[in-house]
Amino acid sequence: MLSKSQARTFFLVGTLLFSLLFLFLTVDSVRQVPAQTRAKNITPAVARGKHLWDANNCMGCHTLLGEGAYYAPELTKVYERRGAAWMDVFLKDPQAMFPGQRKMVKYKFSDQDRQDLIAFFKWIGEMDLNGFPPRPSRDLNAGLPAQVTPPAPPSTRADAPAPRPTTQPSSQAAARVAAAPAMPVKFQQLCVACHMLGGKGGRVGPALDGVGKKYNVASLRKWLEDPQGVKPGTAMPKLPFTAQELDQMVAFLLAQK
Amino acid sequence: MKFKSQKVAYWFFAACMLLLTLQLTYGFIMAFAHMGLDGLHDYIPFNAARATHTNLLVVWLLTGFMGATHFIIPEEADRELYSVPLAYLQLVSLLVVGVVAIIGFHFNWWEGRKFLEIPRPLDYLVVVNVLLFIYNIGMTVWNGKRFTTTGIVLFMGLFSAALLYLPGMIYFTNQTFDSYFRWWVVHLWVEGVWELIMGAILAYLLIKLTGVDREVIEKWLYVIVGLTFLSGILGTGHHYYYIGTPRYWLWIGGLFSALEPLAFLGMALFAVAMYRRSGRQHPNKISLYWTVGCAIMAFVGAGFLGFAHTLPQVNLYTHGTLVTAMHGHLAFWGAYAMIVLAIITYSMPLMTGRKLWNNMPGLLAFWTSNIGMVGMTGAFAVAGIAQVYLERKLGLDFMVVQKEIEVHFFGLTLAATLFSVGITLFIYNFIKHGLPRDEMVGDQSLDADWVEPHQKESVAAAPAPEKSTPKTGKKAKA
Ligand code: HEM
Ligand code: HEM
Ligand SMILES: [Fe+2]
Repeated sequence: MLSKSQARTFFLVGTLLFSLLFLFLTVDSVRQVPAQTRAKNITPAVARGKHLWDANNCMGCHTLLGEGAYYAPELTKVYERRGAAWMDVFLKDPQAMFPGQRKMVKYKFSDQDRQDLIAFFKWIGEMDLNGFPPRPSRDLNAGLPAQVTPPAPPSTRADAPAPRPTTQPSSQAAARVAAAPAMPVKFQQLCVACHMLGGKGGRVGPALDGVGKKYNVASLRKWLEDPQGVKPGTAMPKLPFTAQELDQMVAFLLAQK
Repeated sequence: MKFKSQKVAYWFFAACMLLLTLQLTYGFIMAFAHMGLDGLHDYIPFNAARATHTNLLVVWLLTGFMGATHFIIPEEADRELYSVPLAYLQLVSLLVVGVVAIIGFHFNWWEGRKFLEIPRPLDYLVVVNVLLFIYNIGMTVWNGKRFTTTGIVLFMGLFSAALLYLPGMIYFTNQTFDSYFRWWVVHLWVEGVWELIMGAILAYLLIKLTGVDREVIEKWLYVIVGLTFLSGILGTGHHYYYIGTPRYWLWIGGLFSALEPLAFLGMALFAVAMYRRSGRQHPNKISLYWTVGCAIMAFVGAGFLGFAHTLPQVNLYTHGTLVTAMHGHLAFWGAYAMIVLAIITYSMPLMTGRKLWNNMPGLLAFWTSNIGMVGMTGAFAVAGIAQVYLERKLGLDFMVVQKEIEVHFFGLTLAATLFSVGITLFIYNFIKHGLPRDEMVGDQSLDADWVEPHQKESVAAAPAPEKSTPKTGKKAKA
């Protein structure tokens, strides 16, 4: 039977051996990680973004690389999922984007801060993570760039100047989209996060198929410039369009008949 | 209680009770937030509640370990504590740092790294504080009349835990390195050096409660902590699967972390075997329950539920979901919370002279809190598995899934209420013991391993409680 001194030897030798092995593997990992994580892309902006990430304890609600809390979405691939423009708007006022939903803290980020955070997420998203996050075996959201949330509360739709969704066979809608003025980049970046068009997009706001029938240039422009002014309390945020982008957007939307 | 300085343990334990109560309060805040009841969002956002919940957990467990050490080390070293004022100073400063940190969390002041949220300036104070503690205990051990394996393993565990706090204080810009070395603290604590602390306290309690020969128990202690490090060190690799580290961690981490349950299995078998072997009946039933229960629940929570998601093929899907929270709760509870509660229930009668060691509230506290915690684990498990399936398998959006699993947080709240009733009863019993009394110093009648059954319920009110004559000569040894 094992004696006490043998047991002690087992403990001491085992601990020493495996500590050394661990240190050896650590040295090797430290050598390999910079390449695997594209560390050369860590710009000062990324470093500042990382600092913001820590300083606000974002990990206290979200996970990143699968580490953190389980209250808010996994953000490893958020750059790919949402894009820079959307994130910029969202970070200005998170609760405005998803009203009535689980709340995110509204931080007083400067324009620079938001760009830094976006740079940080972009860098994170490009790492080689050995296959994480896993690809769903049946991706129900396939093709949806957006967050699918339950339909907006009735009030947003019933008395809204915004159109009620008209259900259109998506093939028809798609055909019309093709014929209409080209879809502005900003539309893809921002609007589809909440609105459907041709069967694709989010469900926070009403679908935009047929929106051109309900508006004219002036009313649509007014709505986009100041949603809160037209309809106080609406879920629709004021989006950052340049004058030219606004023109394109209005033209595009009016063509959705 | 043999030495006067063992009394300091009481104040550490009292602090534990206070911090535990606060921890649970913040647990409820989070459970409600998960159900959509986030009315406190503007004052206590989820991340503040969470940082408070987990840091309070870590602080009260550490306070408990320190209390246990102040109780055990004088006895193992067979001398008074090196310095009692130092011990009080250390306790008070620890609490001050802890409270400042927690208030800071509510004002967005933190480091924002899971489990290591304490802001950097306070980290230095923590280090100074722990050095004080290590110094005080180290000097006690060093000047002691004897060196026991239990004492040495306990000291080594505490010392390495202090040392391992340091890698967590290095700043890395690269998130992967940040995470890599953060695990040196988090993983190497709970699946490494803390197991030494737990093993040593467990060994001490088993020696006291079962009266099995010290040599036998300490031999197994070595085997168990040997197994811990054999598997646990490279087992760190189970956190290095998907964070941007080389691929070889998938099989190294998978293989070694799959062996980690062995140490916990060892502890459970060992505790049960020693319990069976004890030819006598120690009157402190409640402490025996917590001791043996700890070894068993540690195996279930850490060993079994840890194994459940440790293989890389499984972890790919469960990584960073509520499945992790399920395991985290039962593992911390079984292994570390229960061992602290076990030493508290063992030492309180010895310090205060009140033998509340087989009473109804105490037994109910044990059963209700454990049943409640198992229920909470179940609620997290169902929520976690549903989340993995809907989000990771079917690809539904995170927030959609959260809505689907809200109901399980109602279940969690119910179980947590039951759990909290148990903890309340425990604290009630704790308070009923009253303060430690100087008359108990040197009074070994209650220390004795053997107390006649008919003496069980008598309350020692007199300065010199009835002496019981140990039937065996083992007292001298233990
Ligand atoms: C008493 C011992 C243990 C405690 C207190 C404990 C606690 C925890 C906690 C709190 C986490 C979450 C960490 C984080 O995400 O920051 C965690 C993660 C994990 N634990 Fe343990 N654990 C213990 C033992 C074990 C054992 C023995 C195993 C394996 C057999 C294990 C396997 C895991 C795995 C695989 C994860 C990562 C989960 C993920 O990817 O999200 N644990 N543990
Ligand atoms: C009233 C009882 C409790 C309730 C309602 C509760 C609830 C919660 C909730 C909701 C979370 C956050 C999960 C998330 O990030 O979304 C959490 C985290 C945690 N709790 Fe508790 N808890 C309670 C008691 C405890 C106890 C007694 C312990 C330890 C023994 C504990 C240890 C932990 C740990 C380690 C985490 C972090 C888990 C992880 O990140 O994987 N909790 N708790
Ligand atoms: Fe671990």
